Amino acid sequence: MGKKWFTSLLAVLFVLSLALTGCSSSSSSGGSAGDAKQELTYATTSKVVGLSPILTNDSVSSTVIEQIYETLFVRDSKGEIVPHLAESYENPDENTWVIKLKKDIKFHDGTPFNAESVKYTFDKLKDPATAAPRASLLAPVSSIEVQDEHTVVLKTEKPYGPMLAALTHSNAAIVSPTADKKQDLMKDPVGTGPFKFSEKVNGDDIVLVKNEDYWQKPAKLEKITFTVVPEVSTAISMLQTGKVQLIDGLAPELMPRLEKIKNVETQKVDGTPVYYLAFNMEKAPMNDLKFRQAVSHAINREGYLKKLNGLGVFSNSFIGPEVFGHPGDEKGPEFDQEKAKELVKANGFDKKEVKMLVANTASYMNMAEVIQAQLKEVGIPAKIETLEWGTYLDVSKTGDFDITIAGWSNVTGDGSELLFPRLHSANIDATNLSRYKDAELDKLIDQSRSVVDQEQRQEILTKADEYVMTQLPVLPIYHGIASAAYDKSVKGFKMEPTGQWSLYSVHRE
Amino acid sequence: MAGLIVRRIFQLVLLLIGISFIVFMSMHIAPGDPASIIGGPTATQEDVEAIRENLGLNEPLLTQYFDYVKGIFTGDLGFSYQTKQAVSEAIIDRFPNTLNLAIASIIVAIVIGVTTGIISALKHNTWFDGLCTVIALGGISIPNFWLGAILILIFAVNLQWFPVGGLTEPFWTIEGMKQLALPAITLGTGSAAMIARMSRSAMLEVIRADYVRTARAKGVREKTVIMMHCLRNAMIPVITVIGLNFGFLLGGTIITESVFAINGVGRLMIESIAARDFPMVQGSVLLVATLFVLVNLIVDIVYAFIDPRISYE
Repeated sequence: MGKKWFTSLLAVLFVLSLALTGCSSSSSSGGSAGDAKQELTYATTSKVVGLSPILTNDSVSSTVIEQIYETLFVRDSKGEIVPHLAESYENPDENTWVIKLKKDIKFHDGTPFNAESVKYTFDKLKDPATAAPRASLLAPVSSIEVQDEHTVVLKTEKPYGPMLAALTHSNAAIVSPTADKKQDLMKDPVGTGPFKFSEKVNGDDIVLVKNEDYWQKPAKLEKITFTVVPEVSTAISMLQTGKVQLIDGLAPELMPRLEKIKNVETQKVDGTPVYYLAFNMEKAPMNDLKFRQAVSHAINREGYLKKLNGLGVFSNSFIGPEVFGHPGDEKGPEFDQEKAKELVKANGFDKKEVKMLVANTASYMNMAEVIQAQLKEVGIPAKIETLEWGTYLDVSKTGDFDITIAGWSNVTGDGSELLFPRLHSANIDATNLSRYKDAELDKLIDQSRSVVDQEQRQEILTKADEYVMTQLPVLPIYHGIASAAYDKSVKGFKMEPTGQWSLYSVHRE
Repeated sequence: MAGLIVRRIFQLVLLLIGISFIVFMSMHIAPGDPASIIGGPTATQEDVEAIRENLGLNEPLLTQYFDYVKGIFTGDLGFSYQTKQAVSEAIIDRFPNTLNLAIASIIVAIVIGVTTGIISALKHNTWFDGLCTVIALGGISIPNFWLGAILILIFAVNLQWFPVGGLTEPFWTIEGMKQLALPAITLGTGSAAMIARMSRSAMLEVIRADYVRTARAKGVREKTVIMMHCLRNAMIPVITVIGLNFGFLLGGTIITESVFAINGVGRLMIESIAARDFPMVQGSVLLVATLFVLVNLIVDIVYAFIDPRISYE
């Protein structure tokens, strides 16, 4: 008797738990409904490394840095570069940038923002003793001079076209010199932004509060918390129960679950990142244009987008549609399996197995598997070698692979900032993973960097992109989409194409 | 007893020197360069070289190791390559979370494990015993990340009895207990299953012993027989299992800490390994090793209290 009773209880519990699990994704709880407290919690999967724009170069840190610090220039909603902390600029000659600064701006510690603080920040960024991860950003700048309280002059050896784009980069944000001399900005940051640092709690969580003395109208949110939730599915559960109001960088496989949650809204914006195949141009058969053409015709790139649940854009160009320098009409190779098969047969590309090196992040591994299968269909045997991220960074730079899958987020949104690191021969053994050395492309890239006139730069970059898409040292698979999911009570959130966002004009209802 | 403690502490020091050497060398020999990771994929060769110089990674390996060991003896575990935070500070920030979680989990494990173990031994070969065996097997085999995710979906998202994750309040507050409940159950189940199996077999052995039969024969109450005569004698192997499990829990539990967004030592360790943050990895491994040895020492001392026949002199 007792046995039966217990078994039926067990059965009921089991069914109940299944039912609860099953309906979980469609249920909505909206823990935040009716709660108009101007506070917001953002969940990220990895911790903030530090809060000094000079000493960090990871996306999570820059997310926080963007709220605390500001740059001289920013990109507006149309992607145009406009002055921000700067008032205006002029070029008396091609090697001189005279930048007038806005007046009456103060850092969070009361230090006035002026030409001296800009000079201090940029000198520190460039100083080899600082060991700034993005010192290269201002490498072309040879001197920074204070002309008067509100005018700073940057001089370059050679004309530097992407100067303004570099100055929009969060690593070129201006820090308070008094604070930097007194304290460690990695832990205790001081900028001019709409939010200021309040405290670090629970080891890694960072709390910012509204800067009441902001030089524009103060922000609407009183308090923002950046919390670390390593498991994305846990972060989504937190979003569903109202413990967290914002997550970003969504993975395609999560979209169906997110779209079913009633209190959550998602935002997708065409972005600046590009994900591509890099051919090792120092090895055969990759150094044979016919091989690269065969691979390009073999991969159904538009088809691949369907797997991304709307988180990718197709563009047959290396410089993406949201990046300065994108060519109007794209002239890349088309998907054509028959053509690929012919090329493979005629040149014997089916004889040698190629090694595809991939970092062990889910999106890259998925992409590698699809590519491997499609190459097999046209007769090219490929094997995948997966490496942990830290190891991958090293191995990919030494060129120990045939093909690798790479990405470039392009925070400045400028084409030169993609072509120079990724394809200029000066960067072999570092960022030029294709190990591509081509005098003609080098020349075009150098021009795109040295010409200051933006229309002329557009023409040069278009020409360079067309050259890349015919020579194919790289094959762009897709261009990224910047994405975020947030609670419906969050209003005014706007994602930038670079994947960055500011909470300045956000409020909760 | 004092002799045992002194001996163990001496062994501990030797062990830590050995461990620090192995961890140091294996981290440096393993592929992946901390400077390239800090620089990220966008850093140029010059950027990376400057970072490497700044971190002192261009010094000869043995010089770096001796500097490190010298630091340890003065209580300086070094600074994180990545965040520049003092290693000791980072560990002190996180260890309370791991400790809270370990204690809560071991309590769950002991309560469930010992009770079911004893009852199934007493009801040997009944349906209850069978059921416990099946559940215990399940407890050992269910992966933590799965159990954790299911518990979150049922009790945090749907029923909303507990928060989804995070551990921000001290464990003695109601909020803190609520935050600990689901992770402690997730972690405790595996240990509970092991403890239950061990308690059951130890109890079975003792129950059949002559002195228990004698106790019953002379008319001692059943409750006293179980609690006084059996339990105490059956506890030695159970305490060993509890000690080992507690030692593992104190080492931080990477998966459970990740699923429940708890900022503990396990997460610190895995993040630091991924970032090749050598000082941080070394510091946390040394901490975990020390705790493991200490917990085992305590277990040995407890033996002597439970069973006076055990002596270390």
